[in-house]
Amino acid sequence: MTSLAPGVATLRQEQTGRADADAVDATLAASGDASAFERLYRAHVGRIHSLVRRMLSDQDVDDVAQDIFVRAWQKLGTFRGEAAFGTWLHRLAINVILGRRETLGLRRQRYHEGDAVLETVPARKAQVEMTMDFETAIEQLPDGARQIFVLHDVEGYRHEEIAEMLGLATGTSKSQLHRARMTLRRHLER
Amino acid sequence: MSDPWTDRLSEYVDDEMPPGDRQMFALHLRHCAECTATLIELKRVAVRARALTDREPAADLWPGIAARIGATTPSSGVPVIPVRRRAGGRWSFSIPELAAAAIALMAVSGGAVWLLRPAPASLATTPLPVAPSSPATVTPVPAASRPRTAGYDAAVSDLEQVLNEGRGRLDTATVRVLERNLAAIDSAIAEAQRAVAADSANMYLNSHLAATKRRKLELLRQAASLVTAVS
Amino acid sequence: MLLTAAIALSTLALTTQIDTTVTVARGQRLEANAFGGEIHVTMWSRNAVRVQADPTSRTQVVVSTSGSTVSVRTEGRRGPASAVDLAITVPAWMSLDLSGVYTDVKVEGAKGPVTVETVQGEVSVTGGDGIVSLSSVQGSVDLRGARGRIEVHSVNEDVTVSETTGEIRAETINGEVKLAKVDATALDASTVNGDVTYDGPIHDGGRYSLSSHNGDITIAAAPTTNAVVSVSTFSGDFESEFPVTLTNGRKGRRFDFTLGKGGAQIELESFQGTIRLVRPGSTAMKDDHDHDDDD
Repeated sequence: MTSLAPGVATLRQEQTGRADADAVDATLAASGDASAFERLYRAHVGRIHSLVRRMLSDQDVDDVAQDIFVRAWQKLGTFRGEAAFGTWLHRLAINVILGRRETLGLRRQRYHEGDAVLETVPARKAQVEMTMDFETAIEQLPDGARQIFVLHDVEGYRHEEIAEMLGLATGTSKSQLHRARMTLRRHLER
Repeated sequence: MSDPWTDRLSEYVDDEMPPGDRQMFALHLRHCAECTATLIELKRVAVRARALTDREPAADLWPGIAARIGATTPSSGVPVIPVRRRAGGRWSFSIPELAAAAIALMAVSGGAVWLLRPAPASLATTPLPVAPSSPATVTPVPAASRPRTAGYDAAVSDLEQVLNEGRGRLDTATVRVLERNLAAIDSAIAEAQRAVAADSANMYLNSHLAATKRRKLELLRQAASLVTAVS
Repeated sequence: MLLTAAIALSTLALTTQIDTTVTVARGQRLEANAFGGEIHVTMWSRNAVRVQADPTSRTQVVVSTSGSTVSVRTEGRRGPASAVDLAITVPAWMSLDLSGVYTDVKVEGAKGPVTVETVQGEVSVTGGDGIVSLSSVQGSVDLRGARGRIEVHSVNEDVTVSETTGEIRAETINGEVKLAKVDATALDASTVNGDVTYDGPIHDGGRYSLSSHNGDITIAAAPTTNAVVSVSTFSGDFESEFPVTLTNGRKGRRFDFTLGKGGAQIELESFQGTIRLVRPGSTAMKDDHDHDDDD
């Protein structure tokens, strides 16, 4: 806590918590305020678009990101404010991404193919921009392993949660993550 | 690598190895340089993954989203509030919590504009919102001024039009007072908008802007009532 | 010649002072409307309404009763009405609905609901019980000694409320909002260009909101006040005669602190003015009142 002695206290410019602003905008947007929803979009589009890009590689990323925000607009009435809006939006995004049937079909196929696919991912020469190199390596992973790696290591979900999302056994999630990491370690700059 | 621990290295990284196995693995690490090196690399991968930065899309996706959710693309700080039709042909709208009482006009099918205002005998400035359970008296605006309305800007525009068309019925002193105070509010709105633009996440600034806009609509509604009262 | 005399007599009749008394039953209300001039309402103990006025050649005064309403209004004989002063005496319990355009309204000693609306005129009311709603566009609004649900509005002038109890909403755009010796259980005071001052008890469980865009906010709080205070501004300052401990740090341009044990909720907002928390009787409060003399 901060104490002020009697006297003059000039208020300085500081940043307001993101969560407070999101909660206000979510309330406004739920009542139909598209400007408030646009503010939410601009605050979260970077994270959502990046999530889509990493989960789906280059498959219609912009379209899927749009789908996510449209779905969020439709579902705003279900946002209760118990979690931060960003968390709620993120879970909704995952549901949209995983709901794409082609992706589901691809994921199941990749899980059956297993290790052999992972071993064919070529190592890349080190590039000046390590970030892009590593991100590119992630995109080169097979779909199933990539999604598990993104959900666990990038987004922070637990294996139990990932298993439930993807309809897998926890053990499968763990082994796929390990294999993704083993592949990606070759693409870290030394 | 055919080490039996190889496939369990990620378990160790994520602290998911049972305690007994963890102890044994720690002992193994003392003698296995390859496992140790791989372990370090896997940790680096996990750390690197957590450090990834998000990137915005190359193109602005908002216009497409706005089109799909049925909103026109508003200018900064202007709420667009869609009108919903209730069963039975009656129109209603919900008002954003922080911009309550901001809308005095709504469009109905056929392009007519209905001006929501209190009963003619009263000039009370009781603010809206109008709850669906307590519909206000509606009075049709003359055909010459029936623009379709939606949103704050449109409501302001329509009320200003009513005032402009009827200003000749008010004395010049009253017109001067109204214009002076509308200008004062517009100045306050502009200052608040600039502040919000610089700090869009600030709750106070957003609510202050909404409240100041509401004051403008209330004053315009009062002015429009005056025009009607003296006609 | 006879015609001229007839016309003169007719005109005299039209302009003869009105002094009319109408018996009323408890529960009836008064509606008075004057296009211009003054409506001055005073009280007496009789269950009757007395109307005194000086109509003009252009404007007549019509007194009528319909159901629960006694109506007094000015009407132009041909074209718009001119300014006519109405002096009306009513029973103190009577509900008053007074309106006009270029009309000053003065009410003394009301003990029932009062509603006043004028455009270019000053409003001065003492008394009022129940719903008290006063509004002027170009004119100050002054209320004293009322009780109940209070709404006072001006656009271009000051709003002053004193010695009044209840839930209060006071607004203006280009003027000050002054609340002195006010006992509010809920308060919403706001202006755009002007200061807001509140001097009165702060009740546990009460909600007090004072806001301005360009002006200063000054609120007096007794040392025993229990309140959570929220201060918001864009580029203004905060001054306190109390030592305050911030409970949530400074989030942007808003911070909270607690006086005593909390209990009441106080929201002080000024976009670019100074927000002051002072003790009752503070010179800061006096300075705010005194500077009116400089206007």
